Amino acid sequence: MAVQSEVCPAERKIVLVGNPNVGKSVLFNALTGAYTVVSNYPGTSVEVSRGCCEIEGVSYEVLDTPGMYSLLPITEEERVAREILLKESAHTVVHVIDARNLERMLPMTLQLVEAGLPVVLLINILDEAERRGMHIDIPLLQEKLGIPVIGGAMARKRGLSELRQAIASYNPDVKAVFGYSHELEKDLAKVSRHLTDDYTLVPRSIALLLLQKDEDAWALIKKAEPSRLEAIEKAVNDTIYERRMDLNLRISLERKRICRAILEEVIHQQADRAPTFFEKLAAWTINPWTGFPLLLLVLYFGIYVFVGKFGAGTLVDLLEGGLFEDYINPWVIDLVQKMTSWYWLRELLVGEYGVFTLGVRYAVALVLPIVGTFFLAFSIMEDVGYFPRLAMLVDRIFKKIGLNGRAVIPMVLGFGCDTMATMVTRTLETVRERIIVTLLLALAVPCSAQLGVIMGLLSEVPGALPVWVACVTLVFLAVGFLSARLLPGERPMFYMELPPMRLPQARNVLIKTVSRMQWYFLEIFPLFIFASVLLWAGKMTGALNGLVRVMAPAISALGLPAKTTAAFIFGFFRRDFGAAGLYDMHAQGLLSPRQLTVAAVTMTLFVPCIAQFLMMKKERGWKVSLGIFMMVTLLAFGVGWGLNLVLGFTGWLA
Amino acid sequence: MKCGFCGRTLPPPDKLRQKPCGACLGGCRKIHCPWCGYENPMVPGLLRRWRKKDNSKEND
Ligand SMILES: [Zn+2]
Ligand SMILES: [Zn+2]
Repeated sequence: MAVQSEVCPAERKIVLVGNPNVGKSVLFNALTGAYTVVSNYPGTSVEVSRGCCEIEGVSYEVLDTPGMYSLLPITEEERVAREILLKESAHTVVHVIDARNLERMLPMTLQLVEAGLPVVLLINILDEAERRGMHIDIPLLQEKLGIPVIGGAMARKRGLSELRQAIASYNPDVKAVFGYSHELEKDLAKVSRHLTDDYTLVPRSIALLLLQKDEDAWALIKKAEPSRLEAIEKAVNDTIYERRMDLNLRISLERKRICRAILEEVIHQQADRAPTFFEKLAAWTINPWTGFPLLLLVLYFGIYVFVGKFGAGTLVDLLEGGLFEDYINPWVIDLVQKMTSWYWLRELLVGEYGVFTLGVRYAVALVLPIVGTFFLAFSIMEDVGYFPRLAMLVDRIFKKIGLNGRAVIPMVLGFGCDTMATMVTRTLETVRERIIVTLLLALAVPCSAQLGVIMGLLSEVPGALPVWVACVTLVFLAVGFLSARLLPGERPMFYMELPPMRLPQARNVLIKTVSRMQWYFLEIFPLFIFASVLLWAGKMTGALNGLVRVMAPAISALGLPAKTTAAFIFGFFRRDFGAAGLYDMHAQGLLSPRQLTVAAVTMTLFVPCIAQFLMMKKERGWKVSLGIFMMVTLLAFGVGWGLNLVLGFTGWLA
Repeated sequence: MKCGFCGRTLPPPDKLRQKPCGACLGGCRKIHCPWCGYENPMVPGLLRRWRKKDNSKEND
């Protein structure tokens, strides 16, 4: 390769691999000094640094690879990192890991070793781990892994000379092997028996990749031994069929088990050191007995008090009641009336559905303060690392109602945006799971903006929020339970790596909140304007009145005033737009608490917004998505009707 | 930047080959995590420099 000779004439190569942020670049600089070349890896946009160093009189070329989490690539970066491992035939591969996260990072070391690569393990950031009272028995770890292990802190050059020593004296002939369970080993042997070509990786490792449906590994086999392809495919498919389990998951669980066993005696936590508050909190969040009360606390203070009372109460009063009502609206209306005498133009600009009086006012004065406070609360929870724990907690309930635990991820994502979550259902294994989750997303998972506005709206009325929460949760559980019964199938287990919890960083939270608000504003503003123009056109042509008449029986069955129809039509443009319409009606005193609650429940369950519907159509096709649409509409109005009856009968929220 | 859901480091947006979600007007303003699918907000240019200053303190 041309690039190589420009860097240095070395014959031996050192390849640095590891997760991002473990100190690889620091090590690279410490090893190579000033003479480095950064260039794009051939055929990609990914940058790879190359440098030169000399150890005990031998010169080496050093390659810093892009961060990777596993030998099974998902991103282009990971793909390039793996390609370097496969093609550059390294003299030594230095796997850099963070001492504080040994258990999470060691599985990749296992992957590298079982691939037959000449691995040296560097446990970096050891000083930080020691400060936390962690002692790592490095000689013992080296003995158990069967590869050279060096502890250090590259930022302080601690351990650098030991690493250079280990590289210089590396003996590639000694290979370590880890045994998986008897069953998995048998499966591996069955596949690797057929592999005869000479690969960079050992056959056992290629068999592992094939069983995990790795596309590159399959492409490699197709090229290397086309005559045996059929036999290999048969062996793999038989194994997958026989085990009836996600092999990916099974292999990664086995790897975890081995790592835990290895680390058991290697890591010592100082006896007198009690777990930190965050470690305790992290454990509480996933235990059902403490997790659900904690969730309620989060919802109460984060959503009810902060978003509802402060955002939807104080801030909206200031902006909508103070600024717009008293100053901006009268001034704009006056201006328009002076400038034009055309009725239609006045209506378009400042009328009932005017671009300014409806579109701009809703977007700026009603929705933005509510959504802003909601995004702030959301970003704090995100930065703390709460969401994956919430997923684990919800998983237990899901299993109880017979749903697939893995469906948790798109569900939790749905609280961000249902459109995206609908797309993420792709990651689910079977069509059955995908349909159930798509249905539940369309029905009972409000997106963040709508959730914010509804929470803000309902927290103004005592008792309304608990009724709303109970209704939506009940519908969700009942529909989930029923559809899981009606569409039976396998339920693979849900497994997820949990990142550690931490104190939220003010800067991160602020950046995320502002980014989300900017994104939101750019997104909704044109839509709100567009919707008000459309409503205006509907009003001028009389089409809106026609629609109101058509929907009148349904609306009055819910016990709602006819004007609510407009809010439901808003809701189809965007979920939060509809909620804003309700908010406006509530502010004008047009809705009783009972009507408000019924309308909010119906609207939450009722139609997904246009974007979500289009995504549903794209992912599931016309037939399924129209079916879901009909079902959701019927259910939403049915539940609203029932709720209205119950509330009327019991006299709650009268 | 780290993914808000799974905590893994996201590749920079220009290096991330992803399909737009189709819901954003005028181009996608979200970074979809390649590992878990979570949508992270795209950071506007002004804030990006501020964030970079912070990141340089990290160990990489
Ligand atoms: Zn992620
Ligand atoms: Zn998008």
